[in-house]
Amino acid sequence: MSWIRRVTNVFRPERLSRDIQREMDFHLEERTDDLVAAGASPESARREAVRRLGHSTTQRERARDMDIAAALDAFVSDVRYAFRALSRTPGYTIVAVLSLALGIGANTAIFSVVDAVMLRSLPVRNPEQLARILLGGADALTNPMWEQLRDAQSAFGQALAFGQHGFSVTTAGESRPLDGDWVSGDYFRVLGVGAAVGRAIDRADDWRGCPAIAMLSYAYWQSDFGGRPDVIGRSLVLDSHPFQVVGVAAEGFDGVEVGAPSRVFVPLCAEAVSRGKGSSLDRRSTWWLTLIARPAAGTTLAQLNARLATLSPRVLAAAAPQSLTAARQKEFLAMQFKAEPAPTGTSSVRTHYGHALYVLLGAVGLVLLIACVNVANLLLARAAAREHELAIRSALGAGRSRLVRQLLTESAVLAALGALLGLVLARLTTSALAALLASIGRRVTLVVHLDGRILAFTLGITLLTGLLFGLAPAWRSALVNPRASLTSNPRQMSGGQSRFTAAKLLVAAQVALLLPLLVGAGLMMATLRNLTRLDPGFQADGVVLMAVDAQHAQTLAKSRRASAYEDILARIRALPGVSSASASDITPIGTSSWNDFVAVDGYSPRSLDDSLANFNEISSDYFGTIRTRVLLGRDFSPGDRLGAPPAVIVNEALVRKFFRGQNPIGRVLRVGETTASAPPMQVVGVVEDAKYGSLRDPAPPTAYIALAQDSAADTGFNFEIRTTGGVNGIRAAALAAVHQVNSSLDVSFSSFEDQVSRSLGVERLLARLSTIFGALALGLAMIGLYGVMSYNVVRRRGEIGIRLALGASRAGVRRLVMRDVARVVLLGLAIGFVAVLYASRALKSAVYGLAPNDPVTIAVAIVALVSVAAIAGYLPARRASRGDPMLALRQE
Amino acid sequence: MPRTRNDILQGTLALLVLKCLDARGRMHGYAITSHIQRVSAELLRVEEGSLYPALHRMEQDGWVRASWGTTEKNRQARFYELTPAGQRQLAAEQESWGRLTEGVRRVLRYA
Repeated sequence: MSWIRRVTNVFRPERLSRDIQREMDFHLEERTDDLVAAGASPESARREAVRRLGHSTTQRERARDMDIAAALDAFVSDVRYAFRALSRTPGYTIVAVLSLALGIGANTAIFSVVDAVMLRSLPVRNPEQLARILLGGADALTNPMWEQLRDAQSAFGQALAFGQHGFSVTTAGESRPLDGDWVSGDYFRVLGVGAAVGRAIDRADDWRGCPAIAMLSYAYWQSDFGGRPDVIGRSLVLDSHPFQVVGVAAEGFDGVEVGAPSRVFVPLCAEAVSRGKGSSLDRRSTWWLTLIARPAAGTTLAQLNARLATLSPRVLAAAAPQSLTAARQKEFLAMQFKAEPAPTGTSSVRTHYGHALYVLLGAVGLVLLIACVNVANLLLARAAAREHELAIRSALGAGRSRLVRQLLTESAVLAALGALLGLVLARLTTSALAALLASIGRRVTLVVHLDGRILAFTLGITLLTGLLFGLAPAWRSALVNPRASLTSNPRQMSGGQSRFTAAKLLVAAQVALLLPLLVGAGLMMATLRNLTRLDPGFQADGVVLMAVDAQHAQTLAKSRRASAYEDILARIRALPGVSSASASDITPIGTSSWNDFVAVDGYSPRSLDDSLANFNEISSDYFGTIRTRVLLGRDFSPGDRLGAPPAVIVNEALVRKFFRGQNPIGRVLRVGETTASAPPMQVVGVVEDAKYGSLRDPAPPTAYIALAQDSAADTGFNFEIRTTGGVNGIRAAALAAVHQVNSSLDVSFSSFEDQVSRSLGVERLLARLSTIFGALALGLAMIGLYGVMSYNVVRRRGEIGIRLALGASRAGVRRLVMRDVARVVLLGLAIGFVAVLYASRALKSAVYGLAPNDPVTIAVAIVALVSVAAIAGYLPARRASRGDPMLALRQE
Repeated sequence: MPRTRNDILQGTLALLVLKCLDARGRMHGYAITSHIQRVSAELLRVEEGSLYPALHRMEQDGWVRASWGTTEKNRQARFYELTPAGQRQLAAEQESWGRLTEGVRRVLRYA
């Protein structure tokens, strides 16, 4: 068990040194005695004894050369040697380190976002136990359902509910938006999150008619209250109502929804305080709560689901919306609650960006592989150049493992340098990446930082890459046959005779990895182009959107809202610079949608969902303002008033589906859950299909009803204003117009074009980043190709010199080198092409308007790759053909 | 576990030391040098500078065991003795030495 002794030697170097010293002393004494006995003087005998033994310190050191400290020493000297070797070839080192830094940096940056969005568990007790409760696949539930489940939770464990809400917080007379959650009384107890200051909301706070209290998130407490403990007991004005602050949640906890941190937590029951009569607590068809369960200890997901299934009929019967028809009632009651694991919380960001993030992670993985191949190639070239040196060392008795260790140390040093620089790059880009995610599409706030997990990831990929690019060249070098290397002149060795050297195979591999990346980038760009160029059925440019919120306008009765909106519209239309304006409940490609059941004589739906159509409520001239063409019949007119027969305008898709493509003008449409008793609406017009919620989805069957005929218009309404001056040109005048009608209406402005463009956030993200990564990979691969070809040309200088001397033309020499380039690139393309056919399936849901294996995109990628490769290969070829043959030959 | 080494000199020294310890039992380093010198009729002289590193390496490989003791002259010395692993190593090294010399002999005779 010699290694035990080696280990113990490390811990007792002092004793070991002393032992050795004593042994040496003994030896010297014995030798001196013998020499004196043979007739020498004591002094000369002593000198001779020392001379024979050698210097005692070196002796001691040589004897100690077998312990681990010495092994560490050897490692340190290996590292030092590696640094010296690398600094001798700065160009090579810079290319290698930069390649790795870009690869590792890109991976770390993307991974940190993936981690923040997809992987990180919630900072709560035992997050792996949490399960989300869904009903028929829907993730939002009603409060009556929650109350039923809450009272029955002993059957399956513990449960909590929360509803996200955009509060408005008023400080010093100014209102600002503040994201928060309505939380059930057990919320903090079930999650196992405590209070940093004060107390957490508990069960005793959540009862009908409860007082208005609030809890702050730690981050909000720090940012807006300076972390002062006297915030407890103070009053916070939320949605115009005072809420007493009772506590601050534990540090790091921002609610369960990832990507939208909650700043404030308010008991569910206080929703009635804020919304008054509009409260959703007793509404059976307002779906606004997320339910999370923590099953009893030892309960599996299957058991939890079985218990939920048993509970479902009773809960649903007690919470079924009253207005359902008998058939729909039956369908509703047949649904079942289901649980799915939710250790990482919930996230709409995850739903929207998840796929895109994994695609990007795949892309940066390819970039890193290409970078690795580059470094492997550089190492191979170096190893070949050092063959002579290695052969000498091998001949002098250096073991194979010793040589491999030396080369691997060099790889490790390269990888470490690359990782360090990569981390710096990642640190610089993650915040930009999070900002990019936040700026496009939905409002996203991500906590992205480089913590232990990210560093572990980076360390992992660094080790992996170090091994990947280091092992092959190291092994190959160690297999060097010293005799063959030593007997031949290093300059005469020409590896060019074999068609595919290891280096060329590696470049072919790079090309094979590169093609899918380029095709992917091409597909993403084409998708974005298709989506931005398609005709959505409206023209968003030149339209300003004004959102008006009547939630805080207490004096405005529900029945008078429609006329107030019409009043505002009339004032807006009169403003200078406004060519046309309209009002609508929903704006296209916005965040809200509205659908309802429709019934048309002669159409029998296959199922409930088959009778769904999308809706919008609009003023007159809506179609004129957003430029959707009216194909048949008419737009709404002043005649469509309350009291007049209800009119409806439908789009082509609705005509195709519900009217079987026949002219629907004058026919009747009934709307609502209980369509039998619903008033008939007469179709007065048909408009062209316009995209509704997303540019990707085809326009759904859509019905438009008249604002002027609504006796209970929505609290939130939108105005479309076609004007040349943009948001800033109209803001002040429009705001004044709104406040002339009612000064307590909240107003916000945006550009219609921005709204449409923001909906392409994921596409833009993918197109931009995949293009950047594709360009990066292309650059890296071409550096690789250029490097290998240049090196080859140098190695074949003698051969090329002879060819030129024997009368080969310079063009012929160029062709010779280019043929090599072509062979390598073609091999790579062939493999890459097969890879594309398989891998592009992963992009099936991401592409729009073309197939994932779109031949044009693939062809363009191939042409781009080949032309850049031709340039990268031509430079060395030209250099080869320009060389003076005599010069090349004389050097031999 | 027997090992083979590339380094002939070092391997030979180990073989000689192991053989001495096998033949004479417990010995200290100085006695080993003198014994090799004497038995080889002064033909072989141990490079004293490499003896102690070799002994320590052999100790770490578990071929020999070392302990402090007192010589006849009443001096403190480190005594070495063979372990069972050392016995096996000796057998292996003797065999490979035999093969080497036989090979060299044949070459010298027939080449």
